[in-house]
Amino acid sequence: MTEKPQARQWTSRSIGSTFQHNIFYVLIRTGGWRLAYFILHFVVLYYILFRPAVRKRCSYYLSRRFPAEKSFRRLVSSYRLSLELGKILIDRAVVGILGVDRIKALFNDREILLDLISEGKGVIFLMAHVGSWQVALSALHFLKIPVNMVIHREEGDIDRHYFEHQSMEWPYRVIDPEGFLGGTLEMMEALKKGEALCIMGDRIFGNLKNALGVRFLGENALFPFSAMKIASTSGAPVVVLFPYKAGATGYGLKLAKVIRVPAGQGRSGEQFLPYLEEYVRALEKFTMEYPFQFFNFYDMWKTPYVN
Amino acid sequence: MNLNEELKKIIVKDLFLEDITWDQIEDDAPLFGEGLGLDSLDAVELVVIIQKHFNVEIKDMDEGRVAFQSINSLASFIRERQTS
Repeated sequence: MTEKPQARQWTSRSIGSTFQHNIFYVLIRTGGWRLAYFILHFVVLYYILFRPAVRKRCSYYLSRRFPAEKSFRRLVSSYRLSLELGKILIDRAVVGILGVDRIKALFNDREILLDLISEGKGVIFLMAHVGSWQVALSALHFLKIPVNMVIHREEGDIDRHYFEHQSMEWPYRVIDPEGFLGGTLEMMEALKKGEALCIMGDRIFGNLKNALGVRFLGENALFPFSAMKIASTSGAPVVVLFPYKAGATGYGLKLAKVIRVPAGQGRSGEQFLPYLEEYVRALEKFTMEYPFQFFNFYDMWKTPYVN
Repeated sequence: MNLNEELKKIIVKDLFLEDITWDQIEDDAPLFGEGLGLDSLDAVELVVIIQKHFNVEIKDMDEGRVAFQSINSLASFIRERQTS
């Protein structure tokens, strides 16, 4: 068997420097989130007007979400998208610097989640790069089970998670998808203990053969089916959760869908397509409701196909 | 049928390997990456397969690291757990 080309075409590195980030941390400490938001408008405007690379990064998603937009409208949309991302990064820092109670995170489907957890097979939270998952996860404290987050941080990634501002203990265990066997054994271990596993379903790690092409915003894009495979093997339900920013200091957590993947789906990815479709349809619906809160700044539609 | 042979047959059948037969699998070839070419999602399935057929649990990553090197290491791991 031959190894397929590696899939990762995105980076988690910030476009700003450590110095620029530190300026915002000082602004938050001295003037709170309002001052940081105010300055942010000018910083984003500078990046949108004078950094073509930033506009290009925005255009991959915006050209699919708003295909009819012409150049000026696209510029405005790029500004709005970048501004939302900036606000979310500020909110994350606000929570870390000024305290968790500065941001309110609401979740209305507690009973559904508690019922799913009581099944004892663990639960997979399938999320996406929307809103701020770090802040929104604070809405899930009522679960009282350990949360495992599948994330990879690159060297040079200078964005601080909220708990890193005060050297707090990490509120969740991190599983690195670039670790031994993609971290899958750790994921299975967590689910076996009845814990929660958070996976981002909109970016591919590792091998392209673990991804399927699904129509997203009018064109085929590749999405990983790893979460569906793990759900099928472990019996854990897949809960599609999307955090979103709702107002200046509020976040919501939307339970978009609960997906059950039956056991015995086999090795080929094709069997997982209907379940993956459910996730992608939910994500597409989210981008209709919150068009400026989807933060995949790479061309996920141009990833080479394997299926 | 010895344990190595049984393992090879189970892996080919339960992982739906189509481009290799059980007798083409070498005892000391790596299971993942180069060698048999299994990937991280196969590891998920393999944990369940080993438990189902041999009632041996691969509890965590450390055990997986030891057991999942080759057919030989997997067979040794199973033997060890079944006798302990």
